[in-house]
Amino acid sequence: MSNPVSDLGRQTLGFVSALGNITRFGSDVVRNLFRPPPRIARTIEAIYDLGFLSLVLIATSGFAVGAVLGLQGYTTLVRFGAEQSLGAVVGLSLIRELGPVLTGLLVTGRAGSSVAAEIGAMVATEQLDGLRMMSVNPIHFVVLPKAVAMTLVMPLLSAIFIVCAIYGGYIVGVELLGLDGGAYIASLEDSVDFREDIVGSVLKAWIFGMIIGLISTHRGYTSAPNAAGVSRATTSTVVIGSVTILFSDYFITALWGV
Amino acid sequence: MASAQAATDGDEAHVVCESIHLGFGGRDVFVDLNCEMVAGHVTVLMGTSGTGKSTLLRLIGGLQRPDAGSIRVAGSELSGLAEVGLAEVRTRLGMLFQNGALLDSMTIFDNVALPLREHTKLARDQIAAEVRDRLDAVGLEDVEHLLPGELSGGMLRRAALARAIIESPEVLLCDEPFSGLDPPNVERIEGLLTRLNRERGLTVIVTSHHMASSLRMGHRIILLKDKAAVSGTPRELAMSEDSEIHDFIGADGAAYLKTLSDAEAAS
Repeated sequence: MSNPVSDLGRQTLGFVSALGNITRFGSDVVRNLFRPPPRIARTIEAIYDLGFLSLVLIATSGFAVGAVLGLQGYTTLVRFGAEQSLGAVVGLSLIRELGPVLTGLLVTGRAGSSVAAEIGAMVATEQLDGLRMMSVNPIHFVVLPKAVAMTLVMPLLSAIFIVCAIYGGYIVGVELLGLDGGAYIASLEDSVDFREDIVGSVLKAWIFGMIIGLISTHRGYTSAPNAAGVSRATTSTVVIGSVTILFSDYFITALWGV
Repeated sequence: MASAQAATDGDEAHVVCESIHLGFGGRDVFVDLNCEMVAGHVTVLMGTSGTGKSTLLRLIGGLQRPDAGSIRVAGSELSGLAEVGLAEVRTRLGMLFQNGALLDSMTIFDNVALPLREHTKLARDQIAAEVRDRLDAVGLEDVEHLLPGELSGGMLRRAALARAIIESPEVLLCDEPFSGLDPPNVERIEGLLTRLNRERGLTVIVTSHHMASSLRMGHRIILLKDKAAVSGTPRELAMSEDSEIHDFIGADGAAYLKTLSDAEAAS
């Protein structure tokens, strides 16, 4: 029969050990960042895979989220006669919170899972061992370009998400519900502060990019060398990545006021 | 036939495994395993499934570490080496993995060229010449632009062999190079490994279940059984009166001995 105290102890030890593993892995990745040769071509390739190929998903999702925000915001604001502030409501909520967070969740699902699956499959088919036998460091050759690419593309994808969402809110608020276009844009411009809102949003997206890059490469790199291992790596990337983004969003907001 | 270590007295050992202990999940794989692989010889590691042939190959390549014991490759002791030191030793090793382990996002040319691009300052056309030379050596033509997924099993194995020998290693480790191949491809890979050994003086260490090929190409065979190793020449193993070895070698042993005696009679 299982003892709840020993179960709790085992789970705590497992959690601490996992935290130690990912910290060591992260420091390995950072150390390799400064080792020659720079993996520029492989990083550009990864930027294309993780960033460019996510554009359609990010743009359409952003538009849909903005449209919903526009509709819900208008319905609520009109009760208080404040519908002229729709641009500010849509813009601020997107720039400060929804943009980086929803982009992070979408990128975790699309790009993070594919990174974990690709590296996991390389483990299962001994491709990483093949690199080691050629005296090529797999963290430098495979992991680093993907982690760097993820960190670089997240702020850009988040910005594209926000722009498409603001446009979605504009279409619903102005074109469908008859709000004045100038009022929508003016309230948006008046309420958004560059340093506090825009820089904060980019910073958040950048941190989320690092988190997704680290978790997805770590899950793939440490996966069991079989099909079940690849599947577990993919699933755990999405689960751990999403939860970590949501919690870290709270802490970033609480600690830095971003 | 004797213990695997004593059997190679008089020859220079390229790889030496001493008192290796290794266990997985509470099960012992090796208990006090000792064996040597002689420089310039083809050594075949044999044994039933689960006896640790591929594991021993991974230990020699430094991809796994034993729980205890010593492994020396070309004079370098692996057990105390960090990853940087292992990378240094591995520049003298080539490894042919069971499924090739070629990077599936890169063309065959890029796969074979990768070690040269990583470790040398050769010009682009020099690298291209080296790659074509190795692909020719393994009998592959017009596959440079293809991805590994577009090759047959035999071609994939040969492309992986070209990559393994691109930096002219001293020791070539081959994990089940014949598995899943049809007889013509088995013969072709066997011929390639034998030729590499003869022409380039390469020390070749092969794990194999393919008895006929192993007896033909091996200077020595190391048989893994009871978590340890016994070794001998193919003739010694084929003539062994140990019932376990006799059963393992089976009819191929008798056929091999007949071929030998026919050859001796003819000469």
